[in-house]
Amino acid sequence: MLTIVLRSILIYLIVLLVFRLMGKRQLGQMQPFELVLTLIIADLATIPMAEVSVPVLHGIIPLLTLVVLHFILTLLTKSSVFLSRVISGKPTIIINPKGIDYKAMKNLNLSTDDILAALRECGYFSIGQIQYAIMETNGKISVMPKEESSPLTKEDMKIKCEESFLPITLISEGKIIEANMKIARLEKADLEKMLADHNVGKIKDLLIFTIDQSGQVYYQKMKGEGVSTKFGRLAKA
Amino acid sequence: MKWLHYINFLLIFLFIVAICVLEEYMVSSSLELVQTSCYEIEKCVSEEGGLQNMEVALALENLEYNWTKNEAGLCFLVNHKSISEIGQEIAKMKYCLSNDDVELFMTGVDLIKLYCKSYMHFMGANLHNLL
Repeated sequence: MLTIVLRSILIYLIVLLVFRLMGKRQLGQMQPFELVLTLIIADLATIPMAEVSVPVLHGIIPLLTLVVLHFILTLLTKSSVFLSRVISGKPTIIINPKGIDYKAMKNLNLSTDDILAALRECGYFSIGQIQYAIMETNGKISVMPKEESSPLTKEDMKIKCEESFLPITLISEGKIIEANMKIARLEKADLEKMLADHNVGKIKDLLIFTIDQSGQVYYQKMKGEGVSTKFGRLAKA
Repeated sequence: MKWLHYINFLLIFLFIVAICVLEEYMVSSSLELVQTSCYEIEKCVSEEGGLQNMEVALALENLEYNWTKNEAGLCFLVNHKSISEIGQEIAKMKYCLSNDDVELFMTGVDLIKLYCKSYMHFMGANLHNLL
């Protein structure tokens, strides 16, 4: 039994390495060949895990071979548009201004219910609202609404807006995140002073404290509600 | 860091090639050694005309030594169940030697030779195995 435990740990680590090498794509973002690869990897990993007579190498070598194959396929798809289309397929327009493209729908083996469900996921409940809908190579549907159905933007309203910044988490569960402090170019003393000046409290009492370059702050105490406020613009960041 | 990514894949590729070559080398050298020991046993038995002599006992010991020496190494590369028969046949041959059962002893030798031949065929990269 100990052998199985040790083998499981070893194979788990190798599968982890394999997925790290393959990239960070999520299931919905995978190309068809990547999904197939993931399914095969899952199956391959279980064989030497449970079967003690099978050498671990019989699981590792196919896994690594698939990683190399994936790498080569990715290189090929990046280097040639033709190969990319052969391996991953190409996006298909399923709704155009004239309506649903019946031929494309049948080629993709879709039903009208599938299309309606995909549109609802995008926030559109009627095909009449859609100018174009495109089935991407990863199976997701991208939607371009008609002008009258597209959401109103600040640009449409000619509203001037400030540049937005990415908030950095400086405190999480009462602990300072040193790496983010370096990004914000803040010292612990600066942060403590900032908190004291705005009566936020002590570091150890905060569940979360985030700040962006413009000085927009969000914090929440361990026992309390979230507060969104504005401190001064970060001088050093 | 793109070059590091390429190096990772190159290292993996080289590792795979190394394992394939190692397997080919280990399997063929180990099994050839076992086959040679079998021929040695056959020669001793035909020369001496029976099992009850020192030469046959030494030749069998030599076969067992050659097998056990390489078995552990082969287990890293080959399914353990596939190679256990040779060990079993050697154990049977030792029993036959003590009972002076020449016929069964020689069957054991033939079986080990057959196993070696079939394993070598089974492990090599050829069209039959690929398909």
